[in-house]
Amino acid sequence: MDDSMKRLLQRLIRRIPTQMLRTTLDKWGRLTVAQQQSMDFTQPKWALTEQLLSMCEEHKWTVKHITELEMIYVIDNPNQGMWYAFQLMDPEDDAHSVELTQFKEQFKCHLSELVRHVSVKMKKHTDEAVWIRIAWGDSFSGPNHLKPTYVVHHLQTPYVFVTSLTSKQKPLLYQALVLATRYQAIKDANLSGRKLTDIRDLLMRQYQQVFPTKYPSPLAERNQIVSNPNIEREHAKSAENRLQMACEAFGEGMLPQLQSAVYKLETKFRDPTNKTMTEREEPFRCVVKFESTNLLESLKHCASSGISSTPVTPLLSSIPLKGRNYFVITDNVPGPSSQTHQPQN
Amino acid sequence: MEGATAKGVLSHLSLLEVQARSRKTQPQQSSRAKELKARREALMTQRDQLRAEIQTHKNLQKLRASMDKQHPHEEEGEMDEDSENSQLLRLMARHAQLKDLLYAHHIIGGYNVIKTRQGKGLCVSLATAYEGVYLETYNLEMDLKPTLRISRHNIPPFIPLNRLAEQNNMQKDMRMFLDTLNQHLNAFAGRKQQLKFVKELHTSVEVMESNALCSILVMMFTVPREKTPVLCTLDYTDHTRCLPTRVHFDCEDKELSHSPEWKKNCSLLQQTPVHKALITMRKMGNIV
Repeated sequence: MDDSMKRLLQRLIRRIPTQMLRTTLDKWGRLTVAQQQSMDFTQPKWALTEQLLSMCEEHKWTVKHITELEMIYVIDNPNQGMWYAFQLMDPEDDAHSVELTQFKEQFKCHLSELVRHVSVKMKKHTDEAVWIRIAWGDSFSGPNHLKPTYVVHHLQTPYVFVTSLTSKQKPLLYQALVLATRYQAIKDANLSGRKLTDIRDLLMRQYQQVFPTKYPSPLAERNQIVSNPNIEREHAKSAENRLQMACEAFGEGMLPQLQSAVYKLETKFRDPTNKTMTEREEPFRCVVKFESTNLLESLKHCASSGISSTPVTPLLSSIPLKGRNYFVITDNVPGPSSQTHQPQN
Repeated sequence: MEGATAKGVLSHLSLLEVQARSRKTQPQQSSRAKELKARREALMTQRDQLRAEIQTHKNLQKLRASMDKQHPHEEEGEMDEDSENSQLLRLMARHAQLKDLLYAHHIIGGYNVIKTRQGKGLCVSLATAYEGVYLETYNLEMDLKPTLRISRHNIPPFIPLNRLAEQNNMQKDMRMFLDTLNQHLNAFAGRKQQLKFVKELHTSVEVMESNALCSILVMMFTVPREKTPVLCTLDYTDHTRCLPTRVHFDCEDKELSHSPEWKKNCSLLQQTPVHKALITMRKMGNIV
């Protein structure tokens, strides 16, 4: 068993937390029942690694098997690392009828044509997502399994989610995806986050949105605080209006968790009291970054509690509306509708 | 906004403040009598207003009753008031009738359209249902000015909204666009529901492949006795329908798909919703 494989297995076992190790190994299903029972998960990691390494020798596992284990772990725990969303543009006529086997073949075929040594593993998850693990190599060296790229795509949707991709690898991946999905182009969707499930929910509109309706459904629940009848809320009506507008802008219930929103300003400086700055011709370059453990929830609370004015400014409501958290603001347009092709990631 | 409500401590305080200010400018003696006189006048005009409103409502009811009985395009010669008044009443009656019609349409699952942002926008709600059960409701918020444009919606991305808007000329023929969109959404909801039933009710059938749009379904059947697996592919290429356009069987036993039983199964799957077809197939003993 060569060193690189040993290192791969060691790295992987170190990465998987002990409490998940058992379930992941069970799902992998390559240990015999006796071996499964002999694994004592109260041991320190290095001891478990030694055990698995010896089993590896016994079973003659290859890199293929170990990457299989890695993929199982990543699919079950997708909310790690930084995920970036891309959007496919201009579908061809047969883009809507691309089915799984066709996509798999086409993607593998095209990527292998572009990159000399590449290892591609594809798996279909129960929620219709296609997971792709790519280990990149080049003309001189074999695939590097220590730094794989993971790609997630739902067929018949224009969205692709990627993690751990370098700028050199990007155009190659783009090409393979465009050809395999029968679209004409692909671009950066300007959305990134730590939780794959949440950025996917945001783009696929899988969270609870609020629309103005005359006949609200009977199960519509709001934050009905049961209050003392002797206490009257002075601004009850305006508070309710604010809450309604905040819900319409951001949604209701569990909102998808975004960690940041970045606004890159390329607007001219405007302050009548500061002549020196206002007289400058070039735009005042500035980057505004909002960070939070749950950005949309914080912004919604700002609006509903009155800290920020309502109706919610389109600069903030564009985050869920357009499904992006990177904006470039220029003077020509009043809102954040301009895009750039090379955002700072 | 606070001034509009007649309740609340702050509004009461501001009322008292206004009263105190006005009291400073008026002479004290005749102010009380004048106040009471003004109040009496106000109450009398209010009473006359209310009386007129009651009368209008009574006439409206009569008109509505006669309108509901007659065909809407027939002439009405019963109301014999001066033309302006009766025109107005007729319009109001028609307005009330249309509102009730819209409500009835909403109850039976039609679109629900309401005006938003003081007439500058509207919001359309499309309800989906399958086999008599209400499923998801989808919404479209649209801007009316300067052009008709969809501003916000919660329609999933695999329903080609923009393509449908272009193809059905949403600008000129909104109704057509909404009807087509409704078809797509209801068909999608129907197919999704069928897939859910297959997974829940038919545990012996393994779902090998499906996609987000539910336009393809690949299942693995097991034939009893020989226990041979049969792979069944259902293609739903027409996204406005709940039934597949193509059914295909794959089996090691090449003769199986040509046998009369399985030919029947093929047409059964093309004509009945999949979860019901599977029940029949099980009863007939074709699958486990």
